Amino acid sequence: MIDEKQVRHRPPEDGVSRRDFLKGVGGSITATAVLATGAEENAEAAKVMPALGQRLKGTVRVSLNINGEVKTAEVEPRTTLLNTLRDHLDLTGAKKICDRGSCGGCTVIVDGRTAYSCMMLAVDAQGKKITTVEGLGSPEHMSPVQEAFVEHDALMCGFCTPGFVVSCSALLAKNPNPSLQQVKAACSGNICRCGTYPRVFEACLAAAKKMKGA
Amino acid sequence: MKAFEYVNPADVKGAISALTAGGRDAKLLAGGIDLLGELKEYIRTPDVVVNLKSVPGLNKIESDAKSGLRIGALVTLTDLVENPIIRQKYSALSDAALSVGTPQIRNVGTIGGNLCQRPRCWYYRDEEVVCLKKGGNKCYAIEGENQYHAILGGGPSFIVHPSDCAPALMALGASVEIAGPKGTRVVPLDKFFVLPADNIFNENVLLSNEVVTHVIVPVPAAGSKSHYMKIRHKESFDWALAGAAVSLVMAGNTVKDCRVVLSGVAPIPWRSKEAENVLKGRAITAEVAAQAGAAAVAKAKPMAKNQYKVPLTQNTVKLAVLHAAGVAA
Amino acid sequence: MPGWKKRSEMRILGKDTPRLDGPIKATGRAKYAYDINLPGLLQSRILRSPHANAIIESIDVIAARSMPGVKAVIITANAGDEMKFAGQEVGAVAATTMERAEDAIRAIKVKYRVQPHVVWPELAMKPGAPKVHNDGNVPKPNKRETGDVDAAFSKAKFTSKGTYTVAVRTHASLETHGVTCRWDDDTHLTCWASTQGVFSVRDELAGTFKLKPEDVHVITEVMGGGFGSKFGAGYEGVMCARLAKEAKAPVKLLLTREEEQLAVGNAPSASATYTLAANEEGKIIACDVKGYSCGGIARENFPMPFIYDVGAVRSEQGVVFTNTGGSRAWRAPGHTQASFLMEAAMDDLATEMGIDPLELRLKNDKHPLRQAQFKEGARLIGWERRNPKPGLGALAGAGRFRRGLGCGGAIWYPGGQGGSQCKVTINRQGEALVEIGVQDIGTGTRTICAMIVAEELGIPLSKVKTNIGKSTLGYGVASGGSVTTPSTAPAVKRAAESAKAALLALAAPKIGANTDELDADDGKVFVKSDRSKSMSFADACKLAPTGGIVGNGRFEGTPQRPDPLQQAGVAGAQFAEVEVDTETGRVNVIKVVALQDAGIILNPLTFTSQVNGAVIQGIGMALYEDRHMCQLTGRMVNANLEEYKLPGPMEMPEFVSIPFENPTATGVTGVGEPPVIPTAAAIRNAVLNASGARVNEAPMTPALILGALAEARRRANA
Repeated sequence: MIDEKQVRHRPPEDGVSRRDFLKGVGGSITATAVLATGAEENAEAAKVMPALGQRLKGTVRVSLNINGEVKTAEVEPRTTLLNTLRDHLDLTGAKKICDRGSCGGCTVIVDGRTAYSCMMLAVDAQGKKITTVEGLGSPEHMSPVQEAFVEHDALMCGFCTPGFVVSCSALLAKNPNPSLQQVKAACSGNICRCGTYPRVFEACLAAAKKMKGA
Repeated sequence: MKAFEYVNPADVKGAISALTAGGRDAKLLAGGIDLLGELKEYIRTPDVVVNLKSVPGLNKIESDAKSGLRIGALVTLTDLVENPIIRQKYSALSDAALSVGTPQIRNVGTIGGNLCQRPRCWYYRDEEVVCLKKGGNKCYAIEGENQYHAILGGGPSFIVHPSDCAPALMALGASVEIAGPKGTRVVPLDKFFVLPADNIFNENVLLSNEVVTHVIVPVPAAGSKSHYMKIRHKESFDWALAGAAVSLVMAGNTVKDCRVVLSGVAPIPWRSKEAENVLKGRAITAEVAAQAGAAAVAKAKPMAKNQYKVPLTQNTVKLAVLHAAGVAA
Repeated sequence: MPGWKKRSEMRILGKDTPRLDGPIKATGRAKYAYDINLPGLLQSRILRSPHANAIIESIDVIAARSMPGVKAVIITANAGDEMKFAGQEVGAVAATTMERAEDAIRAIKVKYRVQPHVVWPELAMKPGAPKVHNDGNVPKPNKRETGDVDAAFSKAKFTSKGTYTVAVRTHASLETHGVTCRWDDDTHLTCWASTQGVFSVRDELAGTFKLKPEDVHVITEVMGGGFGSKFGAGYEGVMCARLAKEAKAPVKLLLTREEEQLAVGNAPSASATYTLAANEEGKIIACDVKGYSCGGIARENFPMPFIYDVGAVRSEQGVVFTNTGGSRAWRAPGHTQASFLMEAAMDDLATEMGIDPLELRLKNDKHPLRQAQFKEGARLIGWERRNPKPGLGALAGAGRFRRGLGCGGAIWYPGGQGGSQCKVTINRQGEALVEIGVQDIGTGTRTICAMIVAEELGIPLSKVKTNIGKSTLGYGVASGGSVTTPSTAPAVKRAAESAKAALLALAAPKIGANTDELDADDGKVFVKSDRSKSMSFADACKLAPTGGIVGNGRFEGTPQRPDPLQQAGVAGAQFAEVEVDTETGRVNVIKVVALQDAGIILNPLTFTSQVNGAVIQGIGMALYEDRHMCQLTGRMVNANLEEYKLPGPMEMPEFVSIPFENPTATGVTGVGEPPVIPTAAAIRNAVLNASGARVNEAPMTPALILGALAEARRRANA
């Protein structure tokens, strides 16, 4: 059992060793006092400011370049890009599965590289070019990767599928002629529980072939 | 995540003053892969998060034939993997960067963050467990689930250091450049990491208002070869069960100088002078490599569930030495 | 009653057919319960006990209620209640954003009186262990004896004994459990659910809120995996509806990953000591087995012995309770564990006897189909390459990496469950709509429904629309036990037949023939004996009244009165080739050959995907998946997807999935369960064959393999 005598409390010094702390380094001591007065938070939260500038708190308006469109949302500095996409912009293709950067369900492309949107703050995604699975194609106009996923049955329940589609699309944009091993490596940050991996590999390789032919 | 104020400093100085003002209620954010994990688990609940990414100029890899590499703290692991000079001359670093996490993590995670990341110990990462490192009075690994914990350098806490890049950089003789309120200091990685016996709350000498701004890697001596080998349970995203970074300076067939640094087995990247002493002055053979492996674990003190790490580390050192030297196993 | 067409006559069925919901899934447009956004939608979170065993002393919600954005706080636990595992529910909140809902549950102050706990079955069985349930942790075991076991043992030529264990695994469905609820008025509830059973969710919600079942509208167009854990509304479903009622706003409640790992099911652990005896001819003559399973606060069993004919049997099976989250059905409940335990014992007996383990199986397996599957699988994997002795042979070699082969067999019983009601409507534009309430949990049910209708009506698949996964439609079974296809397909077929008959009746006077002389195929309605007498299907449809032509179909099969359109009972066998790294204890699965009977296969494309997926979950069981409980804290230490290790892309072998059906099959059946059963056992036995490492626990981690290799070396040197 958890030792109840150990009431949850903060370590005496966080990140500063006892010795160094006693030497009285920099602003650590004064800073604590300054933050203890942080009472204006609620008044501050009432106004929504654009999420620009040096200090952001409360509710802020982020402006994001998503799938070629500029979209704005009122979020907090702590709101992840994933929650912003899903809960504020109704872009629900990116999935929240682990919410800790270990499953790939929320993968998006940020400035040409894949990223876990659950491990990125919305305020940090400003000024970047973001592509979600919705930006790659629609049911009526699927991308070659999306078409290949359907044709090769590279999806079962489909919950991981957007993440795999994004990872494979980012790979092919960079490497139009990947080997099976390279496809596996490119997908190695994505998890599928139904077990569609072999068909994801097939689909990605087939899409590469098709794109070269096109 | 607890709500926080987000600070975008214009320069390193601004970051330091924001951290100084925030004191222990402020945290530095780079790629965010590690810090957001801590914030989501409420391991850290800062009032202020200082965004280093708003500081320009820290995302460059500069290489110079004389002074070596100078890597900005915000350089991503993917940048390192894709750099041809690093691949060619600093292969242990390239191997290590590629072995980190997943493509999505490497695309966002920075070298500064990789060196300064906090332990993955599942007690440390559990908000409900107040372990030694969080101000409690025991290391739960000692009596608990310790299959992934330290066999070397442990006590009073038995975390293992999670970085793959740190042992590789240490094997390459790298230093970090640290900016603080009083200016800049350069600390060799050998002295950057500290054991829990010396500081239970932090794995390195960084103060809460200091920032690692650069990693400096000297030019490898002529005849240098290096390799980082990471053994993990599964290949798709996993932490090291054991790992070894080996750099060898060869004079003909014999080892003139070398460094062997272990990952996944100690609270800090673990320099094994014992293994190095075996290798120095010898030609690399399977037998010599095996002796180095045995020397590396001679002082290992496993616990109930991590005894396997002893033979595993022994074999990993052997295989890494052979790989670095280009000798068949 | 017409049966399924011969395979050679099928135009659409039996052909690889991409699933119809593929495009919406691949483009991120599919709306799962988790994706439903409604005007004014609130987000919610559940508060859970952090302690494995504790009495609640007090709960203070004042601070939480007054926080900004908090719209409802409901506490379900009372002072004095005992929390029996870390993760047990205390209450829930709804707020305007996810972040605020999280702030609010953290502001609820619960005081606990912590009690001693026990989370490991081996400790729970000891006298004096903390009691999980009032009547103790170890209910009376089931004992059974058939034949004279002692006599058989006394005349045995060979005996072999071993204790084998399988760890607890979690379902780890990627979409967590949960629902989005909206009250349309005081007595009408709409619920988008991530479920394997829209009707079971409907009935649970209707019962809880005293509503008429028809006034609860459960919708599951798509869902992100369940694997046996998602049948009812559950605490999360009921609380979502309660919060929505209290807040007077729609609410979304889906669990976090940690909650998913802790509280909504797992596959129980299993452990058994098998003693097997064989005679000179290699016939097993006796089996003495004692085992138990542990499903936390819940109870579950597994079959033992498993599939083989082992002569006289003495068995004692128990269960053990611990302070951990309760088990739930996990894809082939009990059977994956049973297979690992039994098949490991079989290979250890074969090793003891010095014979080929395949030969031992063929001599002791009465199932004729599996006999054939074992032989064909051996051919496909190249069984002749197998090392004659564990770790020794040309395939193993003498280097760092050793290769070997192993196998295992499986059985699965359920067929269709009665009650399915399907409606097929043909409109005047020549299109068909198939409607049935059953959900598609990712197995391809939606696609199969459309394929059956297209086949029956003789029209292209593109002319068939589907409407499924809604409790307002005709009844469909819950998707568990691999019953969905055998329960659904016959009803769909009959609805299509009935609609077709009505269409033919309309066309008959126009063509100038009797209805029973007509048929429809290839887009035409024609006289069977003279195809030149015909009209196009489209023209025939124009004869329909405004509302179109409706056909209804039911499936009422029971085990006592089986329906020939479905099949119960399927056999399977699998073979694995692995490579063991003797330096690191890592195992790479090189190839898995899976031979699976699944009756008449309606869509080979989705059949193969299911078999592949089952094999992959078997790989997870064999090598990676383990819910680690810490006895010190009473908590699960890997309640995430980082340390709860699921096989990923880099862990994938080569797959050979073979539909291997019974030649006499006339019916269809499901394939969700059967192929997951033998994979882990085949891998375990292949590891033994490759390296001599006798690993008796799943998952076979590098730690266990290094230990077993050292033990094998000691045995060899002794």
